[in-house]
Amino acid sequence: MKFLPLIWSGIWRKPGRSVLIFLQVCVAFALFGVLQGLKTGVEQLIGQTRADVLLVHGNLALFDPLPLALLEQIKSVPGVKVVVPVELFGAIYQTPNQKLGVVAVRPDGDWLSAFTFTIAPEYVAAFRRMRTAAIIREGVAKKYGWKIGDHIPLLSKTPQKTGSTDWAFDIVGTYTDSDLGGGSDTLLINYDYFDEARLADKGTVKHFKVAVSDPALAVAVTDEIDRRFANSANQTLTESMRELAQSQLQSIGDLNFLIRSIVGAVLVALLFATATMMMQSTRERMPELGVLKTLGFTGVAVFLSILAEAMTIFVAAAASGLGLAVLIFPLAANIVPGLSMPLIVVAVGMACAVLAAAISAAVPAVFAARLNIVAALAGR
Amino acid sequence: MNFVRQSLALLHVGLSGVAARPSSALTILIGVTCAVGALVSMLAMGAGARRQEMGAVRADHVILGKTGERPGQSDISKDESAVILGLPGIRRGDAGEPIVVFESMTFIEGRKRGTGTRIYFPVVGVTSTVTQYLPELRFTAGRMFHPGLHELIVSNPCAHQFTGFELGDTRLIHGVAWTIEGRFDQGQAQECVVYGDVDSIMSAFKRNTYTSVAVMLQSAADFDAFRDAVSSNPALHLEAMHESAVVEDEFKQLNAILFFVAYFVGSIMALGATLGAVNSLYAIVDSRRGELATVRAIGFGPGPIVVSVMVESLLLALPGALLGSGLAWILFNGLAASPLGYSIQLAVTPSLAAIGVAWALGMGMLGGLLPALRAARVPVTMALRAR
Repeated sequence: MKFLPLIWSGIWRKPGRSVLIFLQVCVAFALFGVLQGLKTGVEQLIGQTRADVLLVHGNLALFDPLPLALLEQIKSVPGVKVVVPVELFGAIYQTPNQKLGVVAVRPDGDWLSAFTFTIAPEYVAAFRRMRTAAIIREGVAKKYGWKIGDHIPLLSKTPQKTGSTDWAFDIVGTYTDSDLGGGSDTLLINYDYFDEARLADKGTVKHFKVAVSDPALAVAVTDEIDRRFANSANQTLTESMRELAQSQLQSIGDLNFLIRSIVGAVLVALLFATATMMMQSTRERMPELGVLKTLGFTGVAVFLSILAEAMTIFVAAAASGLGLAVLIFPLAANIVPGLSMPLIVVAVGMACAVLAAAISAAVPAVFAARLNIVAALAGR
Repeated sequence: MNFVRQSLALLHVGLSGVAARPSSALTILIGVTCAVGALVSMLAMGAGARRQEMGAVRADHVILGKTGERPGQSDISKDESAVILGLPGIRRGDAGEPIVVFESMTFIEGRKRGTGTRIYFPVVGVTSTVTQYLPELRFTAGRMFHPGLHELIVSNPCAHQFTGFELGDTRLIHGVAWTIEGRFDQGQAQECVVYGDVDSIMSAFKRNTYTSVAVMLQSAADFDAFRDAVSSNPALHLEAMHESAVVEDEFKQLNAILFFVAYFVGSIMALGATLGAVNSLYAIVDSRRGELATVRAIGFGPGPIVVSVMVESLLLALPGALLGSGLAWILFNGLAASPLGYSIQLAVTPSLAAIGVAWALGMGMLGGLLPALRAARVPVTMALRAR
């Protein structure tokens, strides 16, 4: 306990210097937090996506149409619990820059198990009852001030049977989605109504969503579906939502090398700067350390007090830096929706701070511990 | 004159003392090196992207798309295409035909070499005028596709990055085998481009409209006349745009993200380096208190002291800038990164090195300011008595 005032006065011996070191460490760990958070956060997001929901699409491209007729054949694959046909198209609301993604689904049976949506049961019931019903993603409803019961006109490139490209839907509810892909400005409509009303491409879907009865069967089901349509005019490619997320977010993974280099550079620069400062300040304190030793402080005690000073500054600064990173993280996370700061990054950051403090204080602390009293008091 | 002489003399004293305090100078050097290196290598991504995007852009290229829609996602009917061929100002090819390329673009799937990662790349159905539209296009192996057949030609970067693009390889598109018949280089472009006959592509994907139309003008100066001819023609609902504007628009988002990330990371690291420099310079000034008080006592003014410390700070930051840019060049120049799905070759250009140097001078200036003021304010009597 008696060491505490000693450590404290050591820190405030040169306030300007301590504050500068504090800021330097703080800035370095803020950057570390954001970059490492981005990298680890993406990896965690991929891990959270569902491996038991499959997406069956044409093997050429994600948006190449498949015939609806494949539905029954996919359903008959053992292990398949639910198959939902999905059609996607773009629409605009009022002005061309207010774009919406329209997702047409067939809400049969346990269809929700093939999606990551959360929808209140009464909305689902209303959605099934009304052909022109639409369920709006919560954020979009808020953005345009839409309420349940509203009749919303949309403009699309997909023409109706009448040749008109105007579509209108009745809002029956809102939903939230825990999936990270697919954009956030979306609404759900009934596939059967849409398919009947449209002019061209009738009876086709963009993809099928498949939920498997047992996650362990996912790989076998994937292979079996693709095998059934191999060498047909409609070859399919079946992927789990996790694989899909992986390939979508792969691009950020490609930045790993750059992120690693930068984090490395930051830590090296920081270590060098702080180690130099510590050495400098220990040298300046030689006479004081000599007095301490004369009073009976052992070499170990002096060693520990220097180390503790560095630890205090580093831990406090790293904590504020990582806190800052958590605060500004939502800005960086704009690139990847749904990203949040993983706690592990904060923990690793703190461990790094302790390590950095130990490294940068090691040489000065050893120097101080070995100090010869006579030489120190003479200021040599 | 006296001011300059005094400053130079003080600077000389200061710099000759650097050797006695190598660690402080090294702190500044390493801090600045890391900050500049990070900034330059991040900016190199943006520069590489830009070089790649703009590499094939020509001033006499014009892209036609539906008014208000993005070219590449337009629907241009065959009726309109006949009208386009008759527009004025279009350059004529060897056989007297107008150099107009009707395009239908779609994305198909490819596998990366080595990792097997899936990536979607564009397959562009084009008319055979494309070889005249793109004079930089040179075949390195094989030949041009034959119209009406299921044949593809690919740029060399495709073959380097993805599997299945060797001559004679086939790919199934809707149950029909398409053969790779030619490989080509296109100037410096590092993009993977796959071309096939537009009619074959359109029938394979059951389309009956083109997604965009590219036109080569007689000269870049004909653009305004051509644009007016397009917009005043009642049979066309199209808009003519410079190729550069189309490409710029396409990559606006990517460029903005790269730019933001580079300056975000660069600024934070520069902040850290500046703090380190301030601390080191404070230490240097502190250790020279007696010396500074002495020169004040023999008549040196505070102005030259401020200047000499600032210049010393700048001179200590400068080698860091050169080292940082150099390291970025050695480590990252030419490296292929693929952020956000685009494949980019990093390019460390002289102008980026210049930005790095400017950045470093900024750090040196800011880092030197406070210590310089402190140096000038050393109270003469106290500093001398403290010795």
